[in-house]
Amino acid sequence: MTKWQVLLIKEIKHLFRDTKTIVQTVVVPTFITPLLLGAIFWYVGSIATEETKKTYDISTYTSTESNLITQLNDSDRLNVLTEASIDEVITSVTDGVTEIGLVLDNSFLNDLESDSSAKITIYSKNIDTFSQAKSLVTNIIDDFEEAERNERLVALNLTNEYVNPIVIEEEDLTTEQESAGSIFGAILALFFVMYVMSGSTYPAVDLGAGEKERGTMETLISTNISSVDIIIGKMLSVTTSAVLTATFSMLGFAIPMVVIFLFYADSVNEYLFSLLSALLNPVAFLGVFILIIPLSVFMGAFLLAISVYAKTPKEAGLLLGNVLIIFIVPCYIPLINPGLELDFVGALIPCYNLALITNNLIAGTVDWFLYGVALVSTIVYCCIAIYVTYIMFDDENVIFRS
Amino acid sequence: MIEVKNLAKKFKTPSEEKGIFGFKKKDFWAVKDLNFNIKEGSVASILGPNGCGKTTTLRMIAGMLTPSKGTAFVDSIDVRKDKQTVKSKIGYMTNNTSLYDRLNVLETIKFFAELNQIPEDIYMPRAEKLFKQLDMNKYLTKRIADLSTGMKQKTSIVRTLIHDPDLVVLDEPTTGVDVTGQSVIIDLIRTIKNSGKTLIFSTHQLNEVRDIADHIVVMKAGEKIFDGDNEAFQALDTDKNFTEIFMELVND
Repeated sequence: MTKWQVLLIKEIKHLFRDTKTIVQTVVVPTFITPLLLGAIFWYVGSIATEETKKTYDISTYTSTESNLITQLNDSDRLNVLTEASIDEVITSVTDGVTEIGLVLDNSFLNDLESDSSAKITIYSKNIDTFSQAKSLVTNIIDDFEEAERNERLVALNLTNEYVNPIVIEEEDLTTEQESAGSIFGAILALFFVMYVMSGSTYPAVDLGAGEKERGTMETLISTNISSVDIIIGKMLSVTTSAVLTATFSMLGFAIPMVVIFLFYADSVNEYLFSLLSALLNPVAFLGVFILIIPLSVFMGAFLLAISVYAKTPKEAGLLLGNVLIIFIVPCYIPLINPGLELDFVGALIPCYNLALITNNLIAGTVDWFLYGVALVSTIVYCCIAIYVTYIMFDDENVIFRS
Repeated sequence: MIEVKNLAKKFKTPSEEKGIFGFKKKDFWAVKDLNFNIKEGSVASILGPNGCGKTTTLRMIAGMLTPSKGTAFVDSIDVRKDKQTVKSKIGYMTNNTSLYDRLNVLETIKFFAELNQIPEDIYMPRAEKLFKQLDMNKYLTKRIADLSTGMKQKTSIVRTLIHDPDLVVLDEPTTGVDVTGQSVIIDLIRTIKNSGKTLIFSTHQLNEVRDIADHIVVMKAGEKIFDGDNEAFQALDTDKNFTEIFMELVND
């Protein structure tokens, strides 16, 4: 065995005998995160379901009687309260007594009768994104308006076609894969990057600053192992942990989906089922995995270099915490801008490229040239990070920095 | 065995002058123009107050730090030119046990033996002999974290000697060690001395030096202030004991 192999075996043995490593590498990504996500989805889903059955209180003010108020009253899911003034409507909504306030203008009926535009003011707070109160009210108003329009057209002896010279028909050609990619691509990439980082952070701190603090680094460099062997051994240990974490995180996503398909297929919404089916794409998983490996090596080497520079694990933790933001932010950009497409420059940005490529791989629209650019650029970053780590390990001022 | 020639080491330390990014750095010579020779098979001790440059000197001899000026030869090999070969000839033990907590004793020894590319059929009999000598056989499968300080010290000793080094370097081996641990170290130094290996150690324990060392180097503020054998040291002032002579030297 070569010296770096001896060191690698020792480091892996030492790392994986630590419960913290097992928890971070296997337990959290495979079990805890899917359970946590499942619990969150279940909770959010139950809130959304609850909202579809809920009856909402709405406050209204009108100076004259209107069919619109009667139609609102006819709705099973609206409880219409009549207020004495506009201010009372506003207060009622502001204080959260009612969800929606509806004020019909004093000239509402006259305007309708004179074929003018009648004004309705809707008061609401748009905080509760699950609330269906506003859409229920606006749907009833839309129906009321439609009926009113038809009456006016009949009076003028006109047809609907006369006032609507163009009929627009929309057909969504988005495939299930594209929808799945757009919805889940960036989220999955963010999770993978977070797992790769969490899988490499603790080993990097332990094998760098941790060894310095415990004094074992001094023992190690007193032997006739070269800096290159030390870097290879340590970096591969950190990378092994990162790749294992990423692998288990993929399993953590795949296993619950397989369970859903096998045992709960009938109880899953058809659209959601089709999206999840699109996610179970071996090419996408393999493509992401191939990209994650050099990214793991890059992160492993980068984090190890910082950890070795730090005087103590505490300092390393502080420095690495700041560095992790640099990796996380590029993953967020596609998440908050779902329409973003990968271009040449984007393919050169680590993590950002992973997020968009994950999206494209799931959607089946990946540009393999840009995939190659992303892969090669990540390998180049890898080499740079390894070189920086080499400089760190070869610099006695860094190794004996205290 | 060891030839130290005009050895010097410079570090950057913070000065009192403030710069944009904190205190500006200034040069600090931890070791200045050091010269001494240690014969093969002898036991040498480097003495001196804290911060006098003992550890830096030992680290330069062991090839762990690169000298800023001068050099050291171990078995006629220049540490500047071939530090890896020098390291292969040295067994270096730091002033704490510095072992991997989650490995057991056997795994620790195996790791260091394999790092030194020693085949199992050679290192195992050697390890067994040392384990027996240090009365460690009951503890071989215990993890380092579960061992007492004395037992960790013994493991460190076996780890230091497993590749049968020509030169053993011990950096303040008895610092922070209880009486039992100290006795283990003293026994080790005696064993090494009897085996004919060359040994160099730094210490604060003057009694050990008086009893064991053939050669004494005293340092103060990075410079050598005494270099000679035990008799020459005592001859500095025959009316005073070993400790008094040392105190007078370093307080001058």
